[in-house]
Amino acid sequence: MSKLRETKGQKLFNVIEKNAVPILFIIICAIGIPFSGYSLNYLGQEIITRIGRNSFLIIALLIPIMAGMGLNFGMTLGAMAGQIGLIFITDWKIGGIPGMILAMIISTPISAILGWMCGKILNMAKGREMVTSYIIGFFINGVYQLIVLYGMGPVIPIKDPALVLPRGYGIRNTVNLIGIRRSMDNVLAIRIFGLSIPVLTLVVIAMLCFFIIWFKKTKLGQDMRAVGQDMEVARAAGIKVEHTRIVSIVISTILAGYGMIIYLQNMGTLNTYNSHMQIGMFSIAALLVGGATVNKASIGNVFLGVTLFHVMFIVSPMAGKNLIGQAQLGEFFRVFVSYGVITLALVLYEIRKRRARYKTGRLLAQDQADMKEVDV
Amino acid sequence: MIKIRQFIHSFGWPRIIIGLFLLSLFIIAPFVGVKISTSLSDTLIRFGMNGVMVLAMVPMIHSGCGLNFGLPLGIIAGLLGGTLSIQFGFTGGTSFLMAIILATPFGILFGWGYGKLLNRVKGGEMMIATYVGFSSVAFMCMMWLLLPYNHPTMVWGYTGSGLRTTISTEGFYLHALNNFLQFRIGEKFLFPTGMILFFALMAFLVWAFLHTKTGTAMTAVGSNPVFARASGINIDRTRTMSVIMSTWLGAIGILVYQQSFGFIQLYMGPFYMALPAVSAILIGGASVNKASIANVVIGTFLFQGILTMTPSVMNSIIHTDMSEVIRIVVSNGMILYALTRKAEVSR
Amino acid sequence: MKKVHLSRRHLYQLIAVVVVLLIGVIMFVIGKQHIFLLDNKTLESNGKTYPAFSIVEVQVNRIESLELGPRDRDRADVRGQKHKITVRYTDRSFEEHEVVVKFKVPLSQEMVLISLPALVGGAEESVWLQPYEIPVLLTMPVDDEPIITDEIMPMDI
Repeated sequence: MSKLRETKGQKLFNVIEKNAVPILFIIICAIGIPFSGYSLNYLGQEIITRIGRNSFLIIALLIPIMAGMGLNFGMTLGAMAGQIGLIFITDWKIGGIPGMILAMIISTPISAILGWMCGKILNMAKGREMVTSYIIGFFINGVYQLIVLYGMGPVIPIKDPALVLPRGYGIRNTVNLIGIRRSMDNVLAIRIFGLSIPVLTLVVIAMLCFFIIWFKKTKLGQDMRAVGQDMEVARAAGIKVEHTRIVSIVISTILAGYGMIIYLQNMGTLNTYNSHMQIGMFSIAALLVGGATVNKASIGNVFLGVTLFHVMFIVSPMAGKNLIGQAQLGEFFRVFVSYGVITLALVLYEIRKRRARYKTGRLLAQDQADMKEVDV
Repeated sequence: MIKIRQFIHSFGWPRIIIGLFLLSLFIIAPFVGVKISTSLSDTLIRFGMNGVMVLAMVPMIHSGCGLNFGLPLGIIAGLLGGTLSIQFGFTGGTSFLMAIILATPFGILFGWGYGKLLNRVKGGEMMIATYVGFSSVAFMCMMWLLLPYNHPTMVWGYTGSGLRTTISTEGFYLHALNNFLQFRIGEKFLFPTGMILFFALMAFLVWAFLHTKTGTAMTAVGSNPVFARASGINIDRTRTMSVIMSTWLGAIGILVYQQSFGFIQLYMGPFYMALPAVSAILIGGASVNKASIANVVIGTFLFQGILTMTPSVMNSIIHTDMSEVIRIVVSNGMILYALTRKAEVSR
Repeated sequence: MKKVHLSRRHLYQLIAVVVVLLIGVIMFVIGKQHIFLLDNKTLESNGKTYPAFSIVEVQVNRIESLELGPRDRDRADVRGQKHKITVRYTDRSFEEHEVVVKFKVPLSQEMVLISLPALVGGAEESVWLQPYEIPVLLTMPVDDEPIITDEIMPMDI
């Protein structure tokens, strides 16, 4: 097939339109940073901390996108599994890196089961995976609350009075993760130009990146891409479509569980009943800010996204205060931007899907016209 | 036997389980000291409060736009109407009427934009609707701070600007409908005649509309777009119209809710209001692309019945309030069930 | 009876599960946190008196050393079971002494009380290392009912 002939203006428009979200964010940040009055050193430190804290979670979103299942709003399931692991190790008083590893080991089967369930349900709702995975997150949140708020204590033994509510069952609203607090970040931490860099965390993230790159080249990864391109073609080629889709969600959920543990070791406290609900939304927003779309995302998008999104997040309350005199306005602004960017990305994705169809039509017409000229 | 099986199949297991659950709650209630009359009265009041918002699902489902997860947008139109009515100094029953009148242009405007947007994203409506709802709520959070309201009952006392998080409707349209023709049976049973009548009126309007020429066109667009196009119906226009209707009904719905509840909840208040309404209509037997007024009535009654009965009954049995968790599991489970049904996916 | 077919693949999976479980157990053992309460108080045991030091410096493993006056008590948070305590003190004839003791803490004991005078005085381990339970009254119930909700207020991450 030949290439579609376009004018320069059209090409430029395409480039801008393709990167609309990151460009918009660069502008927001460029305006916000001077008004916030934060020093670059402070911002640099915050960005490094937040890259270490959030990247793992965001990378967990990549595999379902590869398999054509869109943004995995069901990553909250993994986050819940990770939190259950953390509750157990806090009760058992296991700390440091061993504590984190043990929490990961506990979270893995829970994530796998939840992910498998989520994958099964998503296979029943092809074509609307995103809204379904979103509702699954809410549904399992109810089950999670049932277990953590009523089951832990009488059914699942939790002894530590610092964890259990005074009434004798259920986990407290906030759990202090003093045992594993910063335990990963502080290993091999170095200081460069006054910025402290959590080397081990970054190494782990880099390893995950290599895993993703390697995974794309495996048979399973190739299958996933094929399924993501076209389910029917993949099925005709002998790929087990349903199975492949489930596996992609299971991997994503397990990774999200690990990501949540890394995230919370940096935070140091666990908000038992809402940490996991927020994290899905913010991870997805950050990935989209980095220029990812519903069907295409790379590791580059992850890091660009974390940086831009979090600069906006740090800067906006102070910028709001200095610009209009209300810090709260800045807080609302960043919430609005988080939701707005997801909306924008979803809308652009749907519009592009339509335009791609239209473009194919035009290409066909152009080819036919060319043929006619040859005939004449 | 086959008939029963067919009935179960068409009605769906989740609905039967929910129905039986509610029934068992009503049976258990007297034994654990919960007064049926109070519960029934509460259920009716909550039915009236939420009914119109559930009704707001119907037009969009009919035109094939899916479940209206973007209900918060309509709610915002209602909030604007309500706050403006108070700002302009209307009181009592008039303020309710004025709130509806003032909310209407916003409802139409928002619905029009929202409908245009949904027309460009056919196939992905539900997810985008969800996020349109969320981002509009977040946007209005900023606006509530910035808009030049200055009525003393609504703004923060110490700054004189920026609306409060909750505003009492007392002295304005509190119980404007509830008290209309309200009557008592016995000591505990209150029948909110006005509110139920208002809901009936709205339901009748929607029902009548769906039987006009435009209304049937809407149903045609939803059930068979190819056929609709062939018979010369302007699909996009019809869809936009349904979205406007849904949004407007959402606006009216929240006003009815507020006049009974007693407070206007601004800022993050409307954030999650779509989910209960969505699950209510699904519990009533609607699906992603089929809904009737009967679904609204049955669903709202069942859902609100569970919401009123579980806390009191559960509390008396096991001395814990698990109602919130049950609500989350039931409502989201119901939505999940509807989203995964094969028969409706391939339309 | 159906023959159970154990393929190579299943075997590997089984081994993997066992290895992971083993790692879990190891992590449990080496990650277990203990709290050492280091006590510099005169202790009497079996008719013997171990007088408190006027000042003593104590180091647990490689954690920063602590200085304790008489009747002082401080805590050190440690992980694992094998530990080393280094005690430095000056006796009445102004001579400096350093005592290094290596010992194991039972896995189940989360908090132990270590009497430094007894440790230096050469008492039995059961005398200077005793399990400690927090008095129940110390953990007064703090009233914080959780907000049970599916709503998020995404204000901070």
